[in-house]
Amino acid sequence: MKIKQNKDCDVLVIGAGLAGMVATARASKLGLKTIQAGNSSALFFASGLLDLLGVYPMDSKKIVSRPYSTIKKLQADHPLHPYSKISRNHIGDSFQFLIDFLDSAGLKYSLPGQGNKLILTSVGTFKPTYLVPETFSKGCDLNPKNKNILIVDFKGLRGFSAKQVASGLGDNNRKVHTLTIDLHENNGSLNPVHLAKSFERKEFLQTLSNKINRFSPKTDIVGMPAICGIHNSLVLVKKLEKKIGKGIFEIPGMPPSIPGLRLKNAFEKKISDLNTIFLSNAKIIFNKMENNRFILHAINDNFQTNIRAGCVILASGRFPGGGLLATRNTIIETIFNLPVFQPKLRDQWHQSNFFDPKGHQINQTGVETDNIFRPIDTAGRPVFENLYAAGSIIAHNDWTRLKSGTGVSCVSAYTAVNNFYHKISSMRNKCSQ
Amino acid sequence: MNKFIETDVLVIGGGVTGTGIARDLSLRGQKCILIEKSDLNAGASGGNHGLLHSGARYVGSDPKAAAECKNELDILKKNAGHCIEDTGGLFVAVKGDDEKYIADFEGLCKQSGVYCKKIDLAQAKELEPALSNDLIAAYEVNDASINPFKVSIENMNDAVLRGSQYFSFNKIVGFKIANHSIEYATIINQNDGKAFNIKARTYVNASGAWAGLIAKMAGITINMVLSKGTLLVTSKRMTKRVINRLRKATDGDIVVPGGVVSILGTTSIRVHSPDNIYPTINEVDQIISQGEMMIPALKSCRYIRAYSGARPLVSEGDIEDDRNVSRGFTLLDHKKDGVNNFITITGGKLSTYRLMAEKASDIVAWRHSVFSKCLTKEIPLPSTKSGGWSEPGVPINKPFKPETANDPVLCECEMVPQSAVDTLVDSIIQAKGQPDLKSIALRSRIGKGPCQGAFCSLRILSHMYDRDILNDISDIQALKGFLNERWKGEQSLLWDQALVQSSIKEMIHSGLFGLELIKD
Repeated sequence: MKIKQNKDCDVLVIGAGLAGMVATARASKLGLKTIQAGNSSALFFASGLLDLLGVYPMDSKKIVSRPYSTIKKLQADHPLHPYSKISRNHIGDSFQFLIDFLDSAGLKYSLPGQGNKLILTSVGTFKPTYLVPETFSKGCDLNPKNKNILIVDFKGLRGFSAKQVASGLGDNNRKVHTLTIDLHENNGSLNPVHLAKSFERKEFLQTLSNKINRFSPKTDIVGMPAICGIHNSLVLVKKLEKKIGKGIFEIPGMPPSIPGLRLKNAFEKKISDLNTIFLSNAKIIFNKMENNRFILHAINDNFQTNIRAGCVILASGRFPGGGLLATRNTIIETIFNLPVFQPKLRDQWHQSNFFDPKGHQINQTGVETDNIFRPIDTAGRPVFENLYAAGSIIAHNDWTRLKSGTGVSCVSAYTAVNNFYHKISSMRNKCSQ
Repeated sequence: MNKFIETDVLVIGGGVTGTGIARDLSLRGQKCILIEKSDLNAGASGGNHGLLHSGARYVGSDPKAAAECKNELDILKKNAGHCIEDTGGLFVAVKGDDEKYIADFEGLCKQSGVYCKKIDLAQAKELEPALSNDLIAAYEVNDASINPFKVSIENMNDAVLRGSQYFSFNKIVGFKIANHSIEYATIINQNDGKAFNIKARTYVNASGAWAGLIAKMAGITINMVLSKGTLLVTSKRMTKRVINRLRKATDGDIVVPGGVVSILGTTSIRVHSPDNIYPTINEVDQIISQGEMMIPALKSCRYIRAYSGARPLVSEGDIEDDRNVSRGFTLLDHKKDGVNNFITITGGKLSTYRLMAEKASDIVAWRHSVFSKCLTKEIPLPSTKSGGWSEPGVPINKPFKPETANDPVLCECEMVPQSAVDTLVDSIIQAKGQPDLKSIALRSRIGKGPCQGAFCSLRILSHMYDRDILNDISDIQALKGFLNERWKGEQSLLWDQALVQSSIKEMIHSGLFGLELIKD
């Protein structure tokens, strides 16, 4: 038998990816009684980089250097894109909220400005992004002509080769060196989480700095896989920098992502400080509306929680998150059965080239919304007065190609919560008058 | 002036037939060079069920092929046991299937000497619980499953051990013909773009679906009919045995187990070129809707890959359904066409590859006055280390063991350790091939599990940079190439969990690494 419990809240956030986290953070911060339900491992897939708009137009493969001015162009070209529903200030405010919130949890990001940065990745490519964790910042817009760079890898840390990363820095290899640290682990492979935790041990930092200091060619700066600690990564990197007498930057790589774990920890810490309830790995079933409130059930192995919510933020993601589900013939939204914008036939979902710069049609699918991110029906009316969508479930945003994932998640979640907050505050004010 | 290499026999085509011929002739003391324009089993040898036919499939349409299958099955079970899983098979009919075909089946099997035993429906369900409740007839037959990649690798390894050579990624571009003979063949090494000539006493065209194109280079016309067949791989094994639909050959009527997966097929669509054939969404849907009539779980199970092969058939007149063209093989001695030292072997099927190789080799041996008889009936096909990683799915109870404690697993879906990748890289280098993700994937299970290469590709790539096999950023192209190759096999199957996996792959390789942005 499952234990039954009833919970009442102002806002139910469904999803624990970036959009769900921002929505929960914002709602909690505004003092709304908030419940978040989601899969707590979602952020393991987040690189830790905060994108705004990295490539535009999509099929031109053009790297965007000044995202805000390019967003203006995007708004003119694509009125259906989520960015076209809001103003530049909204985006700026939401990013500022996000980095302030993370900062208050001890996770520092670079400061928002006008320009994108180019970040070297573990496969050796450069990715355009907007904000990076402070521990990445010395690696932005790296130019091996000016600096002698040392790339460090760890024997047994699979999928990260210093030589491969160095090859990404071009022909100028005289100035790029590599060093492999052998920790003499005898099971062959290193678990990234364990390795990251080792950085929190004094002796480990000492051993590591000794090995780097013994490396003889002159180097100015050191790049490492993004595994320098889980908590207080910036403090740990600074300690290590002091010991080796040069700057360090982290390099993002394949999941499981430690910078993603840091994001998750930072959000969770602050959110639980604000007394928000987190229902982990629960299946959400929408039952009905009652007196303008949503009645839903959250079911996991042990509990059935009956939730009454004034507002729902649907940040359940796309196919990996389970917000959208594809059958052989059609794509459905899994909780409210909302209309999903999609091509008529499965034939049109994908291109024959996986890397087609035009992107796959299926990545345009999703829930269409009004200007305050409420899902709409085919007639263009909100499906529910207080149901909002946030993040990747929103249609017309191929974020993998545009490098616009965080920006859309952040601004939609932030805008949706603000909107609901203003609505109920004005109602409450009216009541008290 | 191009470099000249001399050899006894030039074999063109690295499928099961070509590698089978290389081994057969090597056993008879002939030195062969086998050239292949891409890599082993790039054609129909790699695009089939992996079914070792009992012969029962052909008793109605082609009794001669049925008898050949039966004999070859016995020989291969004895001599190439490590490439075979002796699954046994069933022929089943469901409500609505042709009663006459069912009634005639047992008698036709008897006439061809093919084993077949009627079993009652309750027993069939007991043997294979996944079968439909709508069965109306069931027969037991001797089908087995065979790993065609392993067959080719092992045949080639044995031939190389006996002094022959394998040149992968070498494409023939022309023959020099003089005095009614081929004087030499001109070949381009596709890795460095350099041309060279091979001078052989005899030239054997074993290029399967490409046989017509190769023969044309010698001025000879062969009327090839190419029939595309598409197959789907399930993520779990559905049955213990091969399950055949008891009716005239049509779409979606065979399910072949191989290791931990099952392979469901097939279709028959006339194509004009053997190059660039891929599964379509229509084919996939048609195969599933037919297959689910025998095994209802095929409707909802997860598929991890689809692929296509072109059956090389030699046409004799008008044909309605390409599947009704004889599946017997065609051996052409081009002496009659005015080219004395050139033969073509094509058509046929995986089950009879050894026999095809024997017959082609007999002609060569006779011409070269070699009087040693064919030995592949007697001498077992050896099992080598580099052949071991191509197992079709690893049986759960027999995971690949890392060689030492210090041996990280690079492909977690299929449990392929670093030492296996190293073994394969070394064997590819030895064969003058290009070790990259594609050629490693061809020889192992990497990229074939549920993640479809999203993670293992990155781990293997970085290991290859560590080993200095790759050293330039342009080598990242190979990652794109590899993922695109996988993509062709998954694209028609992307719904439910498979779509989740491909989305994650896109998040990593496009969203984070931006591979679509690097120049092709």
